[in-house]
Amino acid sequence: MVSHLFKAPRLLAGGMLLMLITAGHASGQDVQVSNARLSLLPGEQPGAGYFQLHNTGDETAVLVGAQSEAFEDVEIHMSSEENGMAHMHAMEQVEIEAGERFEFAPKGHHLMFIGRLKTFSEGDDVEVLLEFDDAQQLSVTFDVVSPVSL
Amino acid sequence: MIKQLFIVLAALWLVGCVDRSWRTAETHEIMPPLDFSLIDENGQAVEAEEYRGKVTLVYFGYTYCPDVCPITLARLAGTLNRLDDDVRDDIQVLFISVDPKRDTPEVVKRYTNAFGTEFIGITGDLAEIDALTNRMRVTYDYEEPNQRGDYIVTHTSAVFAFDREGEARFLIRDSHPITDAVADINQLVDQGD
Repeated sequence: MVSHLFKAPRLLAGGMLLMLITAGHASGQDVQVSNARLSLLPGEQPGAGYFQLHNTGDETAVLVGAQSEAFEDVEIHMSSEENGMAHMHAMEQVEIEAGERFEFAPKGHHLMFIGRLKTFSEGDDVEVLLEFDDAQQLSVTFDVVSPVSL
Repeated sequence: MIKQLFIVLAALWLVGCVDRSWRTAETHEIMPPLDFSLIDENGQAVEAEEYRGKVTLVYFGYTYCPDVCPITLARLAGTLNRLDDDVRDDIQVLFISVDPKRDTPEVVKRYTNAFGTEFIGITGDLAEIDALTNRMRVTYDYEEPNQRGDYIVTHTSAVFAFDREGEARFLIRDSHPITDAVADINQLVDQGD
């Protein structure tokens, strides 16, 4: 993963690249992430990731997945309600048009964090890599929160 | 005189009507009283009758659900937080799992404890859960398991309110403002005082 991150902008010094990564830029598409929260309950149940994406670039950014060393699996999901029934389904990808914001929010799009590999407390940080269709990855820090606080 | 009396009676009748109506959705005409034989969060067999005496709010869900279920229960906890303490003492929330295979009593207990002392986890035999959901005319559906064996459950999204005698009164949907839910719950608790 590290070698991959350093492949593209060889001209940039490592430190500067790290700054760019932590600031939330994916090269190719400039995507910024804010308000990243991981809603978790005690126990083994999966969690939900909520955040806002802002594509500041000139091209459509396509989020195709996510991963975290703290979970076996992370999937893009969408909840919806139809005729009084709550549905949820996995999504292959989410497109964020150039200049647009896209919100992963309760009862809408969310990351589903499955199979936690360690225990968490409220206030902990979880590192998550967002993966885009141009093979770029964006490292994002999620704050662990209780759904009661949302 | 008779005319005035009529106006007074008509006004009283109207007030009576207002008292019986809900800002959320009325269910008394369409839903039978709460009736089930299930397993509580301590692993004990329970009947619906054992929850009589308090206003009961019922939500059907499953703990493997990361988004809709916890957010709905969190919203409900937020709703209850707006009530006076003595009103809240008269309310219990039953989280009834429609996924008993994964939702053991221990799992639903840990899950509901996160939302407050009013929240009680209920699970049980699938046949008994089906008997309850069929009686209430609410549905749920299991989707195909993925390669890990995990599966999503589609389920009814409303919260159902029953009075102290277990009679169906109203249901709260996501689209109802919290202020409406607060007003109706207050009114339902008041009715039994």
